[in-house]
Amino acid sequence: MSETSVAHGHHHAHHFESAEAEFEACKQGMWLFLVTEVLMFGGMFVAYTVFRGMYPEMFKAAHAKLAVPMGFTNTIILITSSLTMVLAVAAAQRGRKDRVLMHLSLTFLLACGFLVVKYFEYSHKIHDGLLPGGFFTNTELTHPKTPLFFSLYFIMTGIHAFHVIVGMGLMLWLAKRTMANEFSPSYYTPVELVGFYWHFVDLVWIYLFPLLYLVG
Amino acid sequence: MKGANMEKKTESHQHHHYILPTSTACAVGGALLVLTFITVWVAGIDLGKINFLVAMIVATIKASLVGMWFMNLRKDRRENAVIFLTSFLFLAIFIALTVTDLFYRGDVYVKEPWVASVQSKSRFKKPWVSTPELVSYGKTQFNIQCAMCHGAGGKGDGPAGVALKPSPRNFTQADGWKAGRKPTRVFKTLTEGLGGMPAFGSLPSDDRWALAQYVLSLGPVADQDAAADFAAIKVDPNKESAGEEAVTSIPVDVAIERMAVPEEKTN
Repeated sequence: MSETSVAHGHHHAHHFESAEAEFEACKQGMWLFLVTEVLMFGGMFVAYTVFRGMYPEMFKAAHAKLAVPMGFTNTIILITSSLTMVLAVAAAQRGRKDRVLMHLSLTFLLACGFLVVKYFEYSHKIHDGLLPGGFFTNTELTHPKTPLFFSLYFIMTGIHAFHVIVGMGLMLWLAKRTMANEFSPSYYTPVELVGFYWHFVDLVWIYLFPLLYLVG
Repeated sequence: MKGANMEKKTESHQHHHYILPTSTACAVGGALLVLTFITVWVAGIDLGKINFLVAMIVATIKASLVGMWFMNLRKDRRENAVIFLTSFLFLAIFIALTVTDLFYRGDVYVKEPWVASVQSKSRFKKPWVSTPELVSYGKTQFNIQCAMCHGAGGKGDGPAGVALKPSPRNFTQADGWKAGRKPTRVFKTLTEGLGGMPAFGSLPSDDRWALAQYVLSLGPVADQDAAADFAAIKVDPNKESAGEEAVTSIPVDVAIERMAVPEEKTN
């Protein structure tokens, strides 16, 4: 049964038959977690659908206040970071520690870039009084329900940005473990699963960007 | 010999796990970038409702590329794909049913006629005197406006009232009524609010009287109003009620609740 234990110190938990069974179980657990994420963001997308259906003119006027170049830049950044994440996973699968670290760093830097753009966007919205609910003070947009759009905007992009921050923490954790030689071609489960998480963050943004910035 | 054996094992282990070639990863990344340019470009052209459709189709193609290649769903075990895609199926059901409710309710939402009925004169000559008609009308209004906090039976145990401190008034008990158990006092509380109880002055006076009569009917016999009580709310009990026009700016949530009731009931 020497096959059940793998090199570089990782031993699968005793309740798994093999390292492969552990890997598959972990991966399936991650998919189940992502299902709950789909449904959590899903609720917000439904709220978006309802209010857009009720106040289409308001959405049209309010979405024009979002900066498309900023949203576009962040889309490019996130897609590129998904690519570097994929390359980090592939490098881990091949046991190329230096490349894992390089791609993780690139992904981390791109995530920083995303947050920097987000910071400029948010501060601009705050400056213009384009805020949720009772905090809304902008006078250019006259539809009385306009604060609703900005409630949706801040909650949806805010929870998404929170996911980005969590993802950055996970990348630091992966980098630390990579440097400690904890991963190998036969054990790289955490890298793969953080990869899934990061692609999911990208997936949400793929829908948020057109819905909020482009078609309002 | 042992080392060679180890290497062989690692290789056979790797064999299970598909490694995405760098060239394929870059091609998929490139396709995602191109699709992003396309979606921004198309959004710049005003195509009316088609814009939304195009944006969603492009987003779904992008999402599929991410799912199939970056998240490797196309080579993963089929059950994982089923698990993940089922969540989107349920999300689609969630959205579809909500949308049908929102856009195809038809004339259940009676807008203009309802507003007109509110602004009409009082239907009750002396609503400060309890009648079965008032009480039954008050009950329908209670279920719409009050039951959320005060409970369907008026015991102060509605779902939205559970967290309130002090808890909403239990109408079935005679004690604890801060302003007294008289129709005029309840009417005043409804109009102005009291402590944690919000004001419902936006409701027509008929509705406020009917509500007062209904909630008093839930407990022991209420106290009689004296002349001074009527004077306190500037009502002459000897004259017929003129009714009172509802304020035109009623809160939207109240309006939606009210409009959801078929017109026959509010008239």
